[in-house]
Amino acid sequence: MAQFHLEMKVNGKAIALDIDPGLRLLDVLRDILHLTGTKEGCGEGECGACSVILDDELVDSCLILAPQAYGREVITIEGLALNGELDPYQQAFLEVGAVQCGYCTPGMILAARVLLNHKPKPSQQEIARAISGNLCRCTGYAKIVQGVEIAASIKETKEGVSRA
Amino acid sequence: MKKRGYGLANMWYGIGNTANPNPSGAFVDFLDDGTAIVLTGCADIGQGSNTVLAQIAAETLGICIEDVVIISADTEVTPDAGASSASRQTYVSGNAVRLAAEKVRDQVIAIAAEILNLPTETVNLYQGEIWNSNESSGVSIKDIIIKCRSKGILTLGHGSYNPVTTMLDPETGKGIPYATYAFATQVAEVEVDTETGIVEVKQIVAAHDVGTAINPQNVEGQIEGGCAMGIGYALLEEVILKDGEIQNPGMSTYLIPTSLDVPEIHTIIIEESEISGPYGAKGVGEPALVPTAAAIANAVADALGIRIYDLPLTPERVVAALKSAQEDSKKV
Repeated sequence: MAQFHLEMKVNGKAIALDIDPGLRLLDVLRDILHLTGTKEGCGEGECGACSVILDDELVDSCLILAPQAYGREVITIEGLALNGELDPYQQAFLEVGAVQCGYCTPGMILAARVLLNHKPKPSQQEIARAISGNLCRCTGYAKIVQGVEIAASIKETKEGVSRA
Repeated sequence: MKKRGYGLANMWYGIGNTANPNPSGAFVDFLDDGTAIVLTGCADIGQGSNTVLAQIAAETLGICIEDVVIISADTEVTPDAGASSASRQTYVSGNAVRLAAEKVRDQVIAIAAEILNLPTETVNLYQGEIWNSNESSGVSIKDIIIKCRSKGILTLGHGSYNPVTTMLDPETGKGIPYATYAFATQVAEVEVDTETGIVEVKQIVAAHDVGTAINPQNVEGQIEGGCAMGIGYALLEEVILKDGEIQNPGMSTYLIPTSLDVPEIHTIIIEESEISGPYGAKGVGEPALVPTAAAIANAVADALGIRIYDLPLTPERVVAALKSAQEDSKKV
């Protein structure tokens, strides 16, 4: 089969690859780039485990053909902890115990990041709505919602400090 | 019309397998640098057993949890610790780790007592140091382990634990099926829309006797997760079979609770220390889910004055029950 020349940015890094055009973005991320933080759950866009950020929008990477990411910017869970330092979401999730089996966690954190980019101080209801496309079977969501709230306040403090 | 109701449900639940051998094993190695490695076959599938087992080892060895490395669920190197099922790992594998760590601790205490010229009965390991009764000797555990090495002594321990049960009598059903039990009471508040049949859970209070809660945050997480599954069981989840084939094999047809379906869950941890458990712990995994659907169904019965005997309490089922109750009352 003819190869597709894919150029995109992943976690701030320019990527150029020749791929089978039928691959999903999820396959390229996990199997070719070995960014296995992104999980495959249902594989049909219903559970949110494979969520990534594509140009500031949360998408199910199992529903995006890799060629659709051409020229665009993808952020995966690996793009958060830069220089080995945990980012506010990871810090907050650890602090409140929002991670149990961990399968939904990368998607949850990226969903929260998209929410907080648009709404820096969301209510609990807004957080619950923003993560409602990301299924979790083991935490009962309470600690995840709490984690996002704490991440928002950590971010606010950090950004306040960096502005000052 | 929207009607409110409250329902309560109680449960007790045996920890471990029913009257069957149910052993777990563990190895502990206290290293020269004062840290410890724990090997256990216990698989952490998200319930937090690695954390809890590290806490148990740290507590027994008198070191901080950051100094414990857990190697778990690797059949190439770890001893059998049974399945992560039956709410048994904290209780059974926790005891195995405690026993293994106690063997190591006793070795270190014996050498420390000899070197420091203290009676073994009063020597203790605490906060990385050797203590005599309630006073630190100022000598670190690490120094004693180094001394052990200079004498050619390795500080290793193994432990295994099998809960004490007896087989059930096939005629009478009598026996001791479990070594210990968890207890819980949950209360659900619901709002039922009598037009649409939609049941909304407004809040759940979940009080659980877990023995000593070795990690209260994990226990809360387990209870919250169990309640969420219970909400799914009560209101949403149904495998529809037709000619042996599942008709709803997807997340959009077999619904599980989303973040919008789970209300505030107030967890109350009852710490009734269990004498046979590691530091008094029992288990919480399955118990968290057991009473939830019953509490919700009782709350729906309280709201409507009608008892529905089939789960899940889908809008269709609730509307049908209301309708048939109405028809019955006309007949009278």
